[in-house]
Amino acid sequence: MPAALTVEATMLGKLDWSAIPFDQPIPLIAGAVVLVAILAVLIWVVVKGHLPYLWHEWITSVDHKRIGVMYILLASVMLLRGGSDAIMMRIQQAIAYQSQGYLPPEHYNQIFSAHGTIMIFFVAMPFVIGLMNLIVPLQLGVRDVAFPTLNSVGFWLTATGALLVNLSLVIGEFARTGWLAFPPLSGLSYSPGVGVDYYAWSLQISGVGTLVAGINLVTTVLKLRTKGMNYLRMPMFCWTTLASNLLIVAAFPILTATLAMLLLDRYLGFHFFTNEAGGNVMMFMNLIWAWGHPEVYILVLPAFGIFSEVVSTFSGKALFGYRSMVLATMAICVVSFMVWLHHFFTMGAGPNVNAIFGIASMIIAIPTGVKIYNWLFTMYGGRIRFATPMLWSIGFMVTFIIGGLTGVLLAVPPADFMLHNSMFLVAHFHNVIIGGVLFGAFAGYEYWFPKAFGFRLDERWGKAGFWFTFLGFFITFIPLYVAGMLGMTRRMQHYDVAAWRPWMIVAAVGMAVLTIGVICQIVQLVVSIRNRETLRDRTGDPWDGRSLEWATSSPPPVFNFAFNPDVRGEDAYWDMKVQAQQQSLERDGPEYRDIEMPRNSPTGFVCAFFATIMGFALIWHIWWMVILGGLGAWATFVVFAWRDHDEYVIPAEEVAAIDRVNLEERRSLVSMAGTA
Amino acid sequence: MSDQTHMPAGHDLAPGDEEQHSVGARILGYVVGLVLALLLTATSFFIAGTDLVWQPSIPVALIVLAIAQMGVHLVFFLHITTGPDNTNNVLALAFGLMVVFLVVGGTVWIMANLNANMPPMDQIMRMQ
Repeated sequence: MPAALTVEATMLGKLDWSAIPFDQPIPLIAGAVVLVAILAVLIWVVVKGHLPYLWHEWITSVDHKRIGVMYILLASVMLLRGGSDAIMMRIQQAIAYQSQGYLPPEHYNQIFSAHGTIMIFFVAMPFVIGLMNLIVPLQLGVRDVAFPTLNSVGFWLTATGALLVNLSLVIGEFARTGWLAFPPLSGLSYSPGVGVDYYAWSLQISGVGTLVAGINLVTTVLKLRTKGMNYLRMPMFCWTTLASNLLIVAAFPILTATLAMLLLDRYLGFHFFTNEAGGNVMMFMNLIWAWGHPEVYILVLPAFGIFSEVVSTFSGKALFGYRSMVLATMAICVVSFMVWLHHFFTMGAGPNVNAIFGIASMIIAIPTGVKIYNWLFTMYGGRIRFATPMLWSIGFMVTFIIGGLTGVLLAVPPADFMLHNSMFLVAHFHNVIIGGVLFGAFAGYEYWFPKAFGFRLDERWGKAGFWFTFLGFFITFIPLYVAGMLGMTRRMQHYDVAAWRPWMIVAAVGMAVLTIGVICQIVQLVVSIRNRETLRDRTGDPWDGRSLEWATSSPPPVFNFAFNPDVRGEDAYWDMKVQAQQQSLERDGPEYRDIEMPRNSPTGFVCAFFATIMGFALIWHIWWMVILGGLGAWATFVVFAWRDHDEYVIPAEEVAAIDRVNLEERRSLVSMAGTA
Repeated sequence: MSDQTHMPAGHDLAPGDEEQHSVGARILGYVVGLVLALLLTATSFFIAGTDLVWQPSIPVALIVLAIAQMGVHLVFFLHITTGPDNTNNVLALAFGLMVVFLVVGGTVWIMANLNANMPPMDQIMRMQ
């Protein structure tokens, strides 16, 4: 029946029943549980009649605050997914001494590949982009980002990527190549399955989302600032956002081009990265790390900005060395493009090349050190309040210094030749990414949660969450340093060396402590939602903050500010508070005006829907569906481009009504502070 | 976002934004750009196949023509000027150039170094 077979191949491409892993219980059960949970939530939403609310207020929203919250929600869900992978790996390595453990090699390989991919692209990236989206327009004193609808498109394309990665759990397989899919292993001859295609297409689609988010935020910082907010009055978080998004705009096209070349190799028989026909696999390492190292700073710079805000607020002092901080940020932004070879010192470049890149890698530690000293000096002489965000910041400083020092050690080429691809390296990058990016994300989450939702998070559970995570981190990753020193390489499904075993068991115990930390934070969220009335933030300024996001109510009205604030110096809101206390009055009976805001648009969601179809079809070679998805996404943009009304007007009376409530609360706060 | 008009002093234009030029002057600008671009393209094709000039100078000439072509595009079509309203665009261009220089230059250097240190197997055999 050749004719029938062709029809089937045309209709379904490579897809058939063998794609569902009926013989592997773990992914199947996990997938079924997730599917049931999603269905249950969907049914609950529909039955309770929340669907219109969800559609109008969230899914089609172009409000930067809502999009920021959705980014963070996506990151949190993916953190649980990536965390489960981590737990599975730690258990495997704890029991796989002279045995096969419980995960077969091809499954273990998928797990560590998915863990890395998810944690970087779908946890760390959306978490920091979400926080930047949520806070930067507020700190700049403006009503929205530069391109609100594009913002929504960016978010939904990121969600598409996350969806495709998770789809690989039940339909087909994920890459077994590690999180950067090095050829020739990721080439067609060694990875004939759909795993690498899932990897590459989900990163291509979410990469477009990240790129538009980057363009959007760069434009926002450069072009939309309130009156008087010149560059050297911007809060530190805005500076690090600018630097990080400049890096996104400059670096993500390299990733897209590199993956596009890999896909051309896999789909159309090109020879960019093959062993034969003039291909060069080294070129892939070179290009992917030319993106990969700036990526590290894309993640950690916003975290540095968060720590700057938190340390300054909870020390009750202006940030020490503001200008040196700006300089350090921009220096990191430039130097981060000069160090990428340190990821492949052992690839065979000569001593001159290795030496130059080694020295550049050590140099980048200098501006980072400047930042650490600035935070320490900000705390020095301040009245420090040890609230949860401050605990995360201090925990970061301790952890990140250790991670930074092991990084400087790895920047020495001869040492790197010993430690390359070992557990020492694994411990190092977890030390900087967890200690830097994740602690920063948690600090930002605890710090800005009241701003986003109007009530604070429970402090007791938050502190418990911090301590368990902090200790759990050290119990997990210090043993990995030791195992690396003992010669253990990374990504081992099983091993026969007795000396490594105890360290793997300690690491698994540490993972359990880390898990308790995560559970504490989930409990914290539940408890806080339940006690939200007692935790309510009525003033909009729960931490005695210094920058403009605290000058509006919590949660802020859709237009953020009834009046664009007038900024007269650094720490804009702090100055306003000081002046208000001196004059013991705020502006009376201001004249409110109509405010125009961008209308909600389903463009992002619809576009991502078609992108999902297209991505899935590309992975499974279903060409008619690729065309359908592509046309759909294109048509969505055409419809959006021909729209007639893109703004709506909030009448002055409504603005006044919303703002007066906030003004009353705030005035009572100021008068209370005045008498105290 | 028409309400956000409180820009800091010296506001600048996005690429493609036009300001108070008459339609005629703008069309003239585009026509001049088009003619220059076509001229440079034609010259490139001519140079590539000619034997009128010293042969080793051809690659250099092509590089020069390509850079001139980029300049024409930037000035006439993307409206990058040296005026004070263009600071962001010029800085963005400079940053982009720097990144391209670092990545392309670095890549060429790294790959050349690799090739010199790790030649393919047959070359190693020949050297022995």
